[in-house]
Amino acid sequence: MPHQCTNCERVFADGSKEMLSGCPDCGGSKFQFKPDSATDTAASDDDDRVGTVTASDPPDTASDPMRSSDADTADPTPTDAAAPTTTSPPSSAADSEGEVIETESDPNVLDPTENSAQADARRDVVTRDELDDVSDPPQRSDDPARTIPPDTAASPGIDDLREELNDQFESIKILEPGQYELNLMELYDRQECIISLQEDGHYVIEVADAWRDDA
Amino acid sequence: MGLLTGLRDSITRVTDRLFSASDPKRIGIYGPPNAGKTTLANRVARDWTGDAVGPESHVPHETRRARRKENVEIERNGSTVTIDIVDTPGVTTKVDYKEFLEHDIDEEDAVRRSREATEGVAEAMHWLREDVDGVIYVLDSTEDPFTQVNTMLIGIIESQDLPVLIFANKTDLNGSNVKRIGDAFPQHETVPLSALEGDNMDEVYDKIAEYFG
Repeated sequence: MPHQCTNCERVFADGSKEMLSGCPDCGGSKFQFKPDSATDTAASDDDDRVGTVTASDPPDTASDPMRSSDADTADPTPTDAAAPTTTSPPSSAADSEGEVIETESDPNVLDPTENSAQADARRDVVTRDELDDVSDPPQRSDDPARTIPPDTAASPGIDDLREELNDQFESIKILEPGQYELNLMELYDRQECIISLQEDGHYVIEVADAWRDDA
Repeated sequence: MGLLTGLRDSITRVTDRLFSASDPKRIGIYGPPNAGKTTLANRVARDWTGDAVGPESHVPHETRRARRKENVEIERNGSTVTIDIVDTPGVTTKVDYKEFLEHDIDEEDAVRRSREATEGVAEAMHWLREDVDGVIYVLDSTEDPFTQVNTMLIGIIESQDLPVLIFANKTDLNGSNVKRIGDAFPQHETVPLSALEGDNMDEVYDKIAEYFG
């Protein structure tokens, strides 16, 4: 049980590529990794957590129709209560969120003892079919990595957008509509020419001749 | 990247000059808002072509898009110098629509003008980087020339190795102080004039022919 989604706790088989595009069930992007050597102890911890989450968060499970079917079939982890929880080291860190690590940054992945399936998952490029299968996972509103701001007034306001654009384009700072601060050196240094400022704070730029095919 | 880009720009500029020596030089008229750039451009264009370049106004940022008058032939001492005049929007570091409200412009129009003026400054800075062969820098001689914009723009022009003439405009007004401009930029020649009244235009054309011919 090398990987488990920290959101819905779906378990992925060793070497699975499914999670490369996020958890197919909940869209979560964080997975905890348990090397083989720690499987026994991890299983006990995970079992505890699975039980806790399932019990304390039934609406989430019920609201996710895919989880109820897929997770059960895809999860090879024994979930019986007979797991030897008493034999696991009572590490408080292991039970905390600090244990959760990004798969990409997991130092264990580069462990020379990794098996071929792990190496394959790390090295291979996911195919188009595999991408399509997981390209439209159910959205969870509490997952910031998956949350797309809606195009409504309830979305981050125009002020936020303006602030974001100001961070990106230091050449013109929009204080408010009709009030601008200009960084002349930045404007001079830009290869592309700003030819139009939109009401919503966007810019229209003309790319330099050198970027065109006929240049 | 910046170094390569700069090198490419320099090479482009040099080759352009080598292979188009007979083409008209493109002279950008730069300066802060309300220095009299459009008045000067119109004066030059009218004197030598009979046409105007654009509307003049006491309202700042009246020129919000660069305007070009091509093939202006200036005759000096029996020879002809042909230039393209580019009248640019006044360069500034702040544009505020409230500035327009003082000139009986309603708020919606003021906001629009402000946005267009900002676009104009961006365009002017881009032209300075890409599209001019020389610069006429126009200053209102009644105003303090020691400003961030003036220092920065003159510095950019110098870094481009562009020929530049500084025109101390509005000498017809009380409070005109040409010497203050000369002292501010002693490394460049300062020519006093009144574009509005046509004062000292002979020297203006002499210098244009000398610097950009």
